[in-house]
Amino acid sequence: MSDDLHAALELREACPRFEESGLTSVPYSVRLMPGDCMLVACRDPVRATRFADLCSGLIPLLSGQALCMGLDWDHLPEHRAWALRGRIGRVMQQGAWIDLFGTDLNILVQQLHHTRTPTEDLVAQAITLSRRFGLPGLPTLSPGRLNNADRARAACVRAFMGEPKLLILEDPVDLETADMMTAFLAELTAARERGCGVIWFSREPDLWHGYNAAGTRRFRLLDEGLMPMKQGV
Amino acid sequence: MSETLPRYRRWLRALGGLTRRQLRFTLMLVGASWGVVREACRPTSWRRTVIYEFKSTLRQAAGGGLFSTLFTAGLTGFGIVAQAIYWLGIAGMADTTDSLLATVLVREIAPVLVGVILLGRSGMLSLTQLGQLTLGGELRALQGQGIDPFLTLVMPRALAMMLSSFTLGVVFSLTSLSVGYGVCRLHSIITMPLWTFLYDIVGAMKPIDYVGIPLKLIISGFLLSLSTQLTGLDATRSDTIATLLPRGFARGILVIMVTNVILGVLVA
Repeated sequence: MSDDLHAALELREACPRFEESGLTSVPYSVRLMPGDCMLVACRDPVRATRFADLCSGLIPLLSGQALCMGLDWDHLPEHRAWALRGRIGRVMQQGAWIDLFGTDLNILVQQLHHTRTPTEDLVAQAITLSRRFGLPGLPTLSPGRLNNADRARAACVRAFMGEPKLLILEDPVDLETADMMTAFLAELTAARERGCGVIWFSREPDLWHGYNAAGTRRFRLLDEGLMPMKQGV
Repeated sequence: MSETLPRYRRWLRALGGLTRRQLRFTLMLVGASWGVVREACRPTSWRRTVIYEFKSTLRQAAGGGLFSTLFTAGLTGFGIVAQAIYWLGIAGMADTTDSLLATVLVREIAPVLVGVILLGRSGMLSLTQLGQLTLGGELRALQGQGIDPFLTLVMPRALAMMLSSFTLGVVFSLTSLSVGYGVCRLHSIITMPLWTFLYDIVGAMKPIDYVGIPLKLIISGFLLSLSTQLTGLDATRSDTIATLLPRGFARGILVIMVTNVILGVLVA
């Protein structure tokens, strides 16, 4: 486990600006320590994306604080805020893929931008992860030409690249891609053991039934805010 | 609140609001230009993703626009250079040919035509791509990965277009003059060698032209790229590609003309 004393993510009565986010202006409070996992049930994918944006410091706050790895998004200089976002692995639902590039570049772009790791090493890491998630290799077709299941696998590869400190996963696995659940859980567990905090959104909370590892909490994201759920629900 | 303000202050506020609305895009262009220059001077800005975008835009704009430029320059050489040499010779004003070609073709026509070629081939492509990324929410996804679209897309594209504009402007001038010379030589209107012809035109240029012509090409390429990109990035929910394209084209043409007129007056 990580020795980091700072929470991977902390929201202190963070109240987002509705006009700029579309997220209800209610205070959100949550503390996610390194290695912990938050399972968030949310039926509305747009709301989940907005909340993920709030955690990534992309949504201005009316009041309160949003901190990532102990750093307040509001007080970070712009360059440092971009760099900090580079330490977050995300699986996104809204506009996740840029069709200007091939899927390979879409997967590698975050690491190419934020690190100086040689490209060959990044490609090797991406190939290894791709195979673990059930892809034959690093996909080079444009994302629009991949089927939904392969795109979901590629999204997981992208999120787990570069050993992120925080994972924000919006519906990484659904009923259609349930066959990659074993590989996904293996990577998730490895990431948590490295000290990575995880937020896992799902429209289908049934998918979590088998996941009750220590340090896991369950929430429901509603218009009224983030509500804790009973364990095992 | 507004009712409590004195009348003159309400009037001033309305005037300020109107001015800002009208000048909004110009102010954005000025701000983005400064942003590009500032970011380009930082060594840490030149990351692999930025260099990749710079190279691919350079390839697309300069490499892809080369044939169009050669073709347009050929037509210009045939239609303007050859005609000018022929008719000035008939009118007994052959001595003014060099200065006329230097003034009209190299200084005035080349930057405008190269700008139009770049606008059509690369500027509109950038606008469509950035417009689609903005409307589809992909830019937001890029931001979510800690990638600043301004640094990764806007800056390298603007600089690549600037360099392409200069390169294509030089290619255009040389090609059109050479084609014009070739046509006249074929019809025995002039008998001097090509190098003498080009040397005379270079000799007819004023020292200030060596600053003014590159400046026109560089600045119009830079601003043209920024204006089309900002139009794409500035797309709102009510916009579609069908509304963005005419707006971007009009702004691009305006930028080319205004830049050329202003620099033509200031650096003449």
